[in-house]
Amino acid sequence: MASGPHADYGRQIEMGAQLAIEEINAAGGILGCRLEMRFMDDENRPAVGVRNARFLVTEWGAHFLYGTDSSGVAMALGPVLRELDRIQFFTHAATHRLTEELVAQQKIKQIVRVSAPVYQDAVAAWLFRDRRDVRRWATIGADYEYGYATWAIFREQMRRLRPDVEFVGAAWAPFLTTDFSPHIAAVMATNPDGIIATPWAGEAVTLLRQALLQGVFDRIKVWFQAMGGSVDVLEGISPEVKEGRFQGKLYATARYLHNWPNTETNRSFVSRFAKRWNRMPNYSAETTYSAVYITKAAVEKARSLQTDRVIAALQGMRIETPAGLRVFRSEDHQFVYAVPAGKVVWDPRYPIAVLGELKVFDPKDYWRWPPFRPLELSK
Amino acid sequence: MNPATRRWALAALGGFLLVLPLVGSRYVVYLTIHILLLAVNAVGFNLLFGYTGLLSFGQAGFYAVGAYTCARILLAWPSLLPGLVGGTAAAAAAAFVLGYLSVRHTRIYFAMLTLAFGMMIFSLAWKWRAVTGGDDGLVGVPRAPLELLGWTVPLPTVERYYYVVLVVAVLAIALMYRLVHSPLGLALRAVRDSEVRAGHVGLNVRVLRLVAFTVAGAYAGLAGALLPPLENTVTPPIAHWTASAEPVLATLLGGIRHFAGPLVGAFLLVAVKDVIVRFTVHWSLVLGAVVVVLVLGFRGGVASAVEALLVRAQARPRGVPAPAGEEAP
Amino acid sequence: MEVLAYQGLIGLSSAMYLWLISAGLTIIFGVLGVLNFAHGSLFMLGAYLGYTLYGLAGFPFGLAVAASVGAVALLGAAVERGLLRPLYGLDPSYQLLLTFGLVLFLDDLAKLVWGGVFRIPPIPGWLQGAVVAFGRPFPHYNLFLMGVGLLVALGLWLAFDRTWWGRAVRATASDREMASALGIRTPAVFSSVFFLGSGLAALGGALSIPVRPVSPGVGAAMIVQAFIITVIGGLGNLRGAFVGSLLVGVLSSYGTLWFPEFELFFIFAIMAGVLLVRPQGLFGP
Repeated sequence: MASGPHADYGRQIEMGAQLAIEEINAAGGILGCRLEMRFMDDENRPAVGVRNARFLVTEWGAHFLYGTDSSGVAMALGPVLRELDRIQFFTHAATHRLTEELVAQQKIKQIVRVSAPVYQDAVAAWLFRDRRDVRRWATIGADYEYGYATWAIFREQMRRLRPDVEFVGAAWAPFLTTDFSPHIAAVMATNPDGIIATPWAGEAVTLLRQALLQGVFDRIKVWFQAMGGSVDVLEGISPEVKEGRFQGKLYATARYLHNWPNTETNRSFVSRFAKRWNRMPNYSAETTYSAVYITKAAVEKARSLQTDRVIAALQGMRIETPAGLRVFRSEDHQFVYAVPAGKVVWDPRYPIAVLGELKVFDPKDYWRWPPFRPLELSK
Repeated sequence: MNPATRRWALAALGGFLLVLPLVGSRYVVYLTIHILLLAVNAVGFNLLFGYTGLLSFGQAGFYAVGAYTCARILLAWPSLLPGLVGGTAAAAAAAFVLGYLSVRHTRIYFAMLTLAFGMMIFSLAWKWRAVTGGDDGLVGVPRAPLELLGWTVPLPTVERYYYVVLVVAVLAIALMYRLVHSPLGLALRAVRDSEVRAGHVGLNVRVLRLVAFTVAGAYAGLAGALLPPLENTVTPPIAHWTASAEPVLATLLGGIRHFAGPLVGAFLLVAVKDVIVRFTVHWSLVLGAVVVVLVLGFRGGVASAVEALLVRAQARPRGVPAPAGEEAP
Repeated sequence: MEVLAYQGLIGLSSAMYLWLISAGLTIIFGVLGVLNFAHGSLFMLGAYLGYTLYGLAGFPFGLAVAASVGAVALLGAAVERGLLRPLYGLDPSYQLLLTFGLVLFLDDLAKLVWGGVFRIPPIPGWLQGAVVAFGRPFPHYNLFLMGVGLLVALGLWLAFDRTWWGRAVRATASDREMASALGIRTPAVFSSVFFLGSGLAALGGALSIPVRPVSPGVGAAMIVQAFIITVIGGLGNLRGAFVGSLLVGVLSSYGTLWFPEFELFFIFAIMAGVLLVRPQGLFGP
C-alpha cells in the first residue's frame, strides 16, 4: 500500500529492497547478473494486487515477487502465484492462513514468508505472564481477520499460562476507523486491567492519542499495542512518550526492532539504511531487505532461477539477517526467528521513541507449529 | 453509420476477438476478459441510466452478489454453468428487492439510496465471515469446467476461459440489443423523457423502473459471476462504491445515447487505466478530470463524437434532409 | 446507567462532524437541487488545509480553522459558478456525475499534494483537559465540538428565519423563477449557498484535525454517512439533518457498546428501518 494511514509500509518495503539491490549490485550482483526492481501499489485491493502480479510476471518479466502488506491481497495472490509459477517472498502480510492453509494444506509452494506472522503478537501473553496484578483483559480489536486472529491466539496462550485471567470486554473497529472514542469508551466501561489493541500503523497512533484523551492510562495497568514497535507508530507517539503521558504502561512488539539484536549484521544494516534514507528502518524494510538476500543465497546455491530449484535450495536454510538467525520451516515455507517485546520508552540516543526493557522469548513457545489445528476465530 | 458498414465493422471486430489469444500475450487476453466483464456490466447499467433515466451508484453491490454466489456454488459444485446462472439469478433477486424499496423515490433520492444499498452489501460481505469469508474473502475458487449437454470442457488456461467469457458476453449484449429495441425499450425511454406523460399514456412507471433495475442488476451479477473462475478469489472491495463507479464511467466515456457507448467505454476505461497506471499512481485524478470535461462539454461521450465525425464524412448534398427518426443505432 | 450516559455523550460529540457535513449538503440540496457528491471531499480539504496551517506551519488553531473554512468556501462558490451553473437546465444526473468526477479528482489531488504519512497535531492548549462526566474523564475538546455544533444550528436557524438573505434563499428554494422575477439575484444566492455549505463542511474537517487523522479516503467515508443521514432525516430538511446526525451518532456509539459485531452494518440497518416505516424520512413532507 502506498497511500493512506498505512502508506509507510509500502514505502519501507521499497526502501529495504532498494538498499539490498544497490548493495548486491555493487558487489557484483547474483551470479554476475545485475538486479532490477519495479514497484507497484496494490492500493490494498486484491484485484489490483493480482493484476499487478500478472503484469509484472508476464509483461515485465519478473523472476521473483516481494512484499504485500495486506493479508487479503496476499491470500488472493496465492493461487495466482501457482498459476504463474513464480515465488513471492512475503514480507509483511501476517495472516496465519497464508502459510498454514495455502502452503501446508493446499501445497502452493510458490509462497515463502520472511516476516513474522500474527503469531508474534501473542508474545504479549508471555510478556505479562508474571504480572499478577493484571487479571482483567479486554481488546480494542481491528474488525477483520488480523484482529480476530490476534485476540484468539492471545487468549489461547493466556489461558494456558494464567488460568486466573478473565476476558472482560471487546470492541471492534473497522479498517480505516478515524474515531475510536466509542470503542475506547465501551471497553473502559468493563474496567479492564490490561488492553491489547490491534489497529495498527496510523490507526494505532490515532487510537493511542484518543485513549489519552479519555484518561485511559490513569486507569489501566498495561496496554499492549500490536505492531507498536513499528517505526511509524513510534514516530507518531514520540511527543507523548517523551512527556511520559503513557506512564510506563505502554508495551509493544513488531516484526523486527532496529535496536535488537546487538549484532554487527544488525548495527551495520541500521546505519547503512539510516544513511541512505535518513530514517530508521521499519520492520517491513528489514524483512524485504532480508528477503532479497535470501533470494541471493538460494539462487547461488541452486545456480538457477527456476522456481523448483530455488525452492529446493531454500530447504533447511539457516541465514544470518539483521533481525537475527532466520530458519526456514519446510512444512509451511515460513522463516522462523525471534523478535522481543518491551516497553515503549524515550531513549535520548535515538531520535524517536523505542522499545526498551526488551524480553526475548523462544518462538518454540509462542509460535504455532505444525501440524496446524484450524484457529477458532470466535469473538 | 449505414447498415452495411456497421456489419463489416462488427465482423472485423468479431474476427479480431476470436483470434486474440493467438496473436496477443496472456496479459492482453486477461485484460480483454476484464473489458468484456465491464462491457456486460456497463450495458446493463446503461439500460438503467441511458434508457430509463435512473442513475445508480450501487451496481457493484449486485456485481458482488453475483460473484460471491457463483464462488460459493463453484466451491460446492465445480461446474461453471450453475455458478453463472446462480450468480445472475441471485443478483437479479437482490436487485428486485432493493429496487422495490428504491424506485418509488425521485431520481436524486434514488441515486443516494443505490449508493447506500451498495455499501450495505459491501459491509455485509466484509462482516459475514461464515458466508463470504469476511475480509479474507473466498479463496481457492476453482476454474470449474463447462458442463453442457453431456460434454465436459475443462478450462485450465486463461485463453480457454476467455472463449467462454466471449460467448457469454456476446449473447448477453445481443439480448440487451433486442431488449432495447423492443416495446419495453420504448416504454423505458418514455419513462425517462417524462414520467408524467408516460403515466398519462397508461405506463406503470414504477413497474417499468423496477424491471429496468432488476435487469441491470442481473447484468451486473452476470459480470460478477464471471469473475471468480478467472481470479480464483472473491473479496469485499468489489462491492465498494468506488467499484460502482466503473460502469458509470465506462458508459459516460463511451456515450449514453448509443447502444455501443458502454462497450466502447469499457474498452477505453480498462485500456486507458492500464496504461496510465504504468506511469503514475494518480489515475483517479486523470479519470476525475476526464469526467468533469465530458460532462461539461461532451455529454454524448466518444460514441457521439465518432458519430458526428462519420456524419460529416458522409456529407449529404445540400437540400436533402437527413432520414427521419435516425437515432441510436 | 453511567456507562450508558457516557457512551451517549461520546456519540453526541462524534455526531457533530456528521451534522456539519449534513447541514451543508442539505442546504445545497434544498436550495439548488444539487446533490453534491463532492461534499465529503470539501470536508477533507478543510482538514488538510487546517492541518497544513496549524500542524505544519504553526498558525494559531482558531486562525487556521478560519482560513481553511474561508478558502474551501471560496472554492465551493467557484465550483458552483464555473462547473455546475452550465448544467442547471439539464438532467440533474449530470450534476451528480460532475460532482462525482470532482470526488475522484479532489481525493487523488489530496494524495498527490499531501502524500501519505502525517501526524495528528496536539490539541491547542486552551482546549486541553477534561471534565468528569458520569465518573469518567470527558475531554474539553468534545464539549467544544458540541458547542460549535449547537451554535451552527442556532446560527443557521436565525439566518434563514430572521435575515434578509435567509428570506431570499428560502424564496429561491421554493420557486426559482418567481424569486428571480421578484428581483432577487438568484445566481448570487446560489453562489452564496454553495459558499456557506462548503464552509460548513470545511469547518467540520478543520475541527477534526487535533483528534482525528486526515487521509484521502476520509471524505468518501463521510459522504456515505451524510447521505444516510439525509435519507433518515428527509431530503432537503435542515431539522431532519440535525436530528438525523444526532441519531446516527448516538446510536452508532451504542452499537459499539451492545452489538460490537455489527458496527459496519449498523448505520444501514437504521436507514433501512426508517425507509420501511417512513420512506420520506423522519421530517420529510
